[in-house]
Amino acid sequence: MRYIVVIIGAVLVNNFVLSRFLGCCPFLGVSKKTETAVGMSGAVVFVMTIAAAVTWPLDHYLLQPLGLGYIHTLVFILVIAALVQFIDIAMKRFLPPLHAALGIFLPLITTNCAVLGVAELNLKNGTPFLESVLFAFAAAIGFGFALVIFSGIREKLAHADPPRCFRGVALALVTAGLLSLAFMGFSGLVKTPY
Amino acid sequence: MVAIWIAVGVVAAVGAVAALALGIADKYLSVQEDPRIGLVTAALPGANCGGCGFPGCDGYARALVAGTAANGACAAGGAACAEAVSKILGVAASATERRVAVVHCCGTRSNAIRVGDYNGIADCASAAAVAGGDKGCRFGCLGYGACANVCPKHAISIVDGLAKVDKRLCIGCGKCVNVCPRKVIELVPAKATLHVLCNNPLRGPEVRKVCKVGCMGCHLCEKNSGGKEAGHFTFDGFLAKVNYENFPTDAVIVEKCPAKCIVEDAHFESGH
Amino acid sequence: MKTVKSSFKFHGGVHPEYHKDLARDKAIEAIPLPGTLVISMSQHLGAPAKCLVKAGDKVVKGQLIGEKGGFISANVHASACGTVKSVELKQGAAGGYANAVVLETEASDETAYMPPLDWKTATREELLKRVDEAGICGMGGAGFPSSVKLNPPPDKHCEYLILNGAECEPYLTADFRMMLEHADRIRTGVEIMRKVLNGPAVRIAIEANKPEAIAAMETAFKDIEGNVEIVILPVLYPQGSEKHQIYATVKRIVPEGGLPIAVGCVVENVGTVAAIADAVTLGKPLIERVTTVTGDGVNEPKNVLAPCGTRYEDMVAFAGGAKENVRKVLSGGPMMGFNVADLGISTTKTTSGLTLLTEKSVFQYSSHACINCGTCLRACPMNLNPAAISCAVESDDIADAEKRGVMNCIECGACSFSCPAYRDITQNCRRAKAAIRARIAREKAAAAAKAKG
Repeated sequence: MRYIVVIIGAVLVNNFVLSRFLGCCPFLGVSKKTETAVGMSGAVVFVMTIAAAVTWPLDHYLLQPLGLGYIHTLVFILVIAALVQFIDIAMKRFLPPLHAALGIFLPLITTNCAVLGVAELNLKNGTPFLESVLFAFAAAIGFGFALVIFSGIREKLAHADPPRCFRGVALALVTAGLLSLAFMGFSGLVKTPY
Repeated sequence: MVAIWIAVGVVAAVGAVAALALGIADKYLSVQEDPRIGLVTAALPGANCGGCGFPGCDGYARALVAGTAANGACAAGGAACAEAVSKILGVAASATERRVAVVHCCGTRSNAIRVGDYNGIADCASAAAVAGGDKGCRFGCLGYGACANVCPKHAISIVDGLAKVDKRLCIGCGKCVNVCPRKVIELVPAKATLHVLCNNPLRGPEVRKVCKVGCMGCHLCEKNSGGKEAGHFTFDGFLAKVNYENFPTDAVIVEKCPAKCIVEDAHFESGH
Repeated sequence: MKTVKSSFKFHGGVHPEYHKDLARDKAIEAIPLPGTLVISMSQHLGAPAKCLVKAGDKVVKGQLIGEKGGFISANVHASACGTVKSVELKQGAAGGYANAVVLETEASDETAYMPPLDWKTATREELLKRVDEAGICGMGGAGFPSSVKLNPPPDKHCEYLILNGAECEPYLTADFRMMLEHADRIRTGVEIMRKVLNGPAVRIAIEANKPEAIAAMETAFKDIEGNVEIVILPVLYPQGSEKHQIYATVKRIVPEGGLPIAVGCVVENVGTVAAIADAVTLGKPLIERVTTVTGDGVNEPKNVLAPCGTRYEDMVAFAGGAKENVRKVLSGGPMMGFNVADLGISTTKTTSGLTLLTEKSVFQYSSHACINCGTCLRACPMNLNPAAISCAVESDDIADAEKRGVMNCIECGACSFSCPAYRDITQNCRRAKAAIRARIAREKAAAAAKAKG
């Protein structure tokens, strides 16, 4: 039950991009076409889950025993960046189809704030390992969910004829704001642990 | 003091492990790919802004190398970036001579004879697909500005119901040529100075019905440029066309054209 | 033979005001031979015919002057005796230019028809060859060559021959008068076509607002043998569209981009059927047709039997001339007709009507933004989303319009007609289709150039 609450909380109630405002860069940058939005979402799910799975033991078995909690940000960035690069190279070699679908997005999100944010949140909340990974996975799903919805709206808005001053990014930001407001409606759906 | 050294040591160690792993991976796991992708990616600004519609600079570079994306979509990099990319991809190398667009029509509002009212969509392709706009001539410029809308350099403007190309700004990309439903725009050598500004191959009386300045195919231009053997003009029906492989320069041709549709340097300066 | 009511209603459609009363009671009148005829080499769908005459040649009525220029093409014959004045590019009603023979006519009874055939004894191949030679093409509007329709590929079998007498286009009454006055010719034509197509069932489709035509057809086909039915269609525009007629009569759906023969149907306009009868029994090629000259802009609306190539100005003059406040001239009816700016254009085998409208009947409007009401979705007989297509085209996203199936658009105009914001939806669809065709042509040309080296 707790796991379900974690998932609902991360996907809907505290949506990473629409409630916590993490990962706004790819949210605005890669939302022009639904196809690329789906690819990006896949990459985010992949990277965020792995990042949570790697940073948790790193923190618990290396930094904390040495009393180095204060430099975790630095170490996390370093490790996540290297890891994503490593996965990128390995995937290109061993899983070319998956690389073709996700690969081009991987370098984009190596040090994305959503990826770092999930590691930081796990640390701050002191969640156990399994729950941390699940939380990261659900948060990434929530990110992808918002991204795909947003790209769908933007695709339709591309055919609209708004006033000149609203065209392009301005309209995208207004839309993002409205979408965020819509997601506010989910608050209170479940009592989230964090 | 010791705590700092421990911190430095740990970060350095983690970094070294990561670097080693990446180095090994790059050496043993790397895949050969088109080296131009890397070069093009380097030529792009690397801002990964997504403004081009592709997922980051790398995605755009791949599309450029694959030939599926148009060069010049990177707003951040601008013209310098487009040029650098075209150098890598060898696109510009093929075009040796500078070419510019010419609109083969001089049917301004006062010259072209209107045959009706057109109140449909004010767009060249729409007008051509339905009624052909309000000008009587079915071969000339419609004047709704499809070419001006696609021109990346804003070199085309609609003046008095007729598209005009600013020679200084035109980069000869040919977008306007493709978009024009009447096929009235042509890329010509920038050095050519005389142009026949008409695209109507019909007989003189038919042309006169719809335009005050249309070419009637009288062949006077051919005569004045040294006859048929000189090969400065070709004819399509009753329409004279400048042979741009061997273009004429004599101003007499302009003076003697009875229809006044041959002009010297059809370009103008748009003020952009 | 029996008469049934159609029980299959297609999705969409609109109910425009028909205004058929202007000319429906006017018997078909033959126009006196005009002094000049302009006979286009491109009166049909497909490749234009190759012109066989030159300036100064004497031609006789019915003489072959244009030879078909491809598989989908049709012969062109002289509509009258006379001298060829010139062969030059002339504008057609749709705006395109094609070679045309300008003929100075002379009054003469001489004809150069083909020898008459007895359809009962003639073989299928002979009949088919005759239809081909007579240059017969669909007279409903599109002008698809009949010889191609009547000769389906060997793996396809025609199960139903559908006679299109719906005439759903407002104002026009030419087909209606044909059914009323020339029912016997239509019957002969049907029997010939039935023989050529190896005995399919026959469905005669007529809209319910033409009871006289239904009665005339019932009388003419009273004693015919075999599976023949008159199907009374509900009054709905575009009932006369081939695909919708097939659905309304035999409930079959023509696949995307396919021809009616794909579902075992051949649809032919009633006028075409009569022309086939003439071609066989009299040996007369398709050189004249009934055209309705109508609208509140003409003094005496009429159904005119005129040789192909009669200029519009002669047609209008024969119908008592145009009124002073004419605002719009349409070749065809108001829904699918082409706006023409020049009465020097001449009729073709497919000109079913000429509609002149005065200021009173021309609706002047300016279009507004789409209000997302969905009226056009309900009106579209092809189940498209015209609003989305139109918005996509307006923002130059032709690829999206193509994804939304704009190529299936039949340009019936139901969307524009029903739009409360007066948007030019049909025009946008036409633009998208033109752009897509141009792109396909470019790709083909590029592929051909590549293959060449």
